[in-house]
Amino acid sequence: MLEAINLYKRYHQGEVDVVAVDRFSYRFPAGLTAIVGPSGSGKTTLLNLLAGFDVPSEGEVWLGNTPFSTLSEDARSELRLKHMGFVFQQWNLIPTLTALENVAFPMMLAGIGLKERTARAAALLEAVGLGHRVKHWPHKLSGGEQQRVAIARALALNPPILFADEPTGNLDSASGARVVELLLHQAQEGRTVILVTHDLELARQAERVLRLRDGRLMEIEEAPARRSAVSSC
Amino acid sequence: MGVEVLALIYRNLRARPVRSILTLLGIVVSTASMVLFLSFGEGLRKALGAELSTVGPAVLVLPEGVEAFSPGYPELRPETVEALKESASELGISQVIPYVVLTRGGLDPQTAFVFQGIPEGLSPQALYPNLTLAAGSLVPGPKGAVVGSRLAERNQLGLGKVLRLSPSISLRVEGILKPNGGLSDNIIYVPSSVVQEALGTRNYTAAAVGVREGFKADQVAGAIKARIAGVNAQTTGDVLRFAERAVRISDLVRFGISLVALVVGGLLVANTVMMSVYERIREFGLMRALGAKQGFIFGLVLLEALLLGVVGGLLGLLLGQAASGLVNWFTGREVGLALSAITFRLAFFALLVAVVLGLLAGFLPARTASRLKVVEALGRL
Repeated sequence: MLEAINLYKRYHQGEVDVVAVDRFSYRFPAGLTAIVGPSGSGKTTLLNLLAGFDVPSEGEVWLGNTPFSTLSEDARSELRLKHMGFVFQQWNLIPTLTALENVAFPMMLAGIGLKERTARAAALLEAVGLGHRVKHWPHKLSGGEQQRVAIARALALNPPILFADEPTGNLDSASGARVVELLLHQAQEGRTVILVTHDLELARQAERVLRLRDGRLMEIEEAPARRSAVSSC
Repeated sequence: MGVEVLALIYRNLRARPVRSILTLLGIVVSTASMVLFLSFGEGLRKALGAELSTVGPAVLVLPEGVEAFSPGYPELRPETVEALKESASELGISQVIPYVVLTRGGLDPQTAFVFQGIPEGLSPQALYPNLTLAAGSLVPGPKGAVVGSRLAERNQLGLGKVLRLSPSISLRVEGILKPNGGLSDNIIYVPSSVVQEALGTRNYTAAAVGVREGFKADQVAGAIKARIAGVNAQTTGDVLRFAERAVRISDLVRFGISLVALVVGGLLVANTVMMSVYERIREFGLMRALGAKQGFIFGLVLLEALLLGVVGGLLGLLLGQAASGLVNWFTGREVGLALSAITFRLAFFALLVAVVLGLLAGFLPARTASRLKVVEALGRL
């Protein structure tokens, strides 16, 4: 579904060239894949490239049969809208929209009618346990609740791919556990969930762990035992 | 466009109320000042049209080089008037009324006196058929004056009161007219010989010429110009056209002045929207990350500027209307004329300018917002 081929990203920092992602190739299967590595290992840059926020210096990202990374900004936006959902560590919600409106936002971009998107957004919020918070502003929600709204929004157009960038980074353990549980559930449903984190405890719950160092994919750790454990819950 | 977009625009403006209100005030004041400035032109057009419709004779004969609204010192020679009278039947003229105008006092309508000298034995109705008498006689005697209602009221001129035209010429008020709602309410009608004596001339300012039945004003004016040397003959239509040209030029000048206010208003909107864009870079980045195209962000920011322009324009129009009412109340009290008028076309033009202002002011911030790179906007570098 989502495939990175020989991805290479170089930045100019002053007079120095910095290689953030170095010849990364991987085909992301359905289920939860965690990308881990220390700070500066290129995790965020890799996610930027995979999600089409940025374009690689070399190499390509393919989305199905489409050379995603070679498309224009607007074409990438359109594909992102239809095929990808996002949960970031912070700045997840539009501050001047209510929880319900935030979830309805991608559906509005996709041209879904007001009645339908309102009903669907309410159902999604209900599903993440926030049925009672639909009219709340983001600043009135706790960090965990904000992340759950973001998950509901990420699922608004039922995308096959879900990106989560340090989704539990700012949360207490109970709220974090709830968010992880929701993400695991999505992986279990057959979506491709790509989790970027430096939290190894969290990564252990993934079916695959990709270890990055200095922009390079150093190790792929498959965890069949955990996968079956995830599937059975 | 979804309700979420409207909510985004409205709530963003409401989230910074003081800044939004100040910006709005900038547009309101600049639009109102433009509306008021331009309303004078519309008022003048209306007043002139109304004024000329009450004028009796259809053709005005003036010395060459003199326009109807700037008579100046009398230059129309009595021989010319005689020549007009002699060729009257041939040229299709029914009557010739030479008159001479003298203005005393300054520009202040409270102290200015306009004397219009008309042929002895003639009533001012010959020039302004709509005039009616309130008291006394309609025809001024050799040393008499018939006074317009507003002027009489303002200066407490009753019948029998003495007016001094020059140190040696005094006139007695013999008639007072009923209000007519035009400039003629501010005129003192006297025999032309008296004004000519005061000015030390035998000349006239102009001659009003009536057109005989079966002839057209344009035709008669053309014939007069061809036959009589050194004169210009204007029909009421010519005068209106000339006035329209003059008003249009003054419109342009007034619009030019109000353009300064408009540009300042536009810069205010541009500044506000640009600041708002910089404050919301992450928000725009998030929208782009979620799948919003560049055009969506462009439209969102442009709509915000447009909303400021439209709301500011509407409120400015209301404020301009109120200011115009105030001006009319004042000029009505002073000279009996409504100087300012807000017509439909002026209101439409003002709103159009406000909309264009909003669009122009929003263009640069909208372009900036739409061209943000997602990674930079989200701070994900």
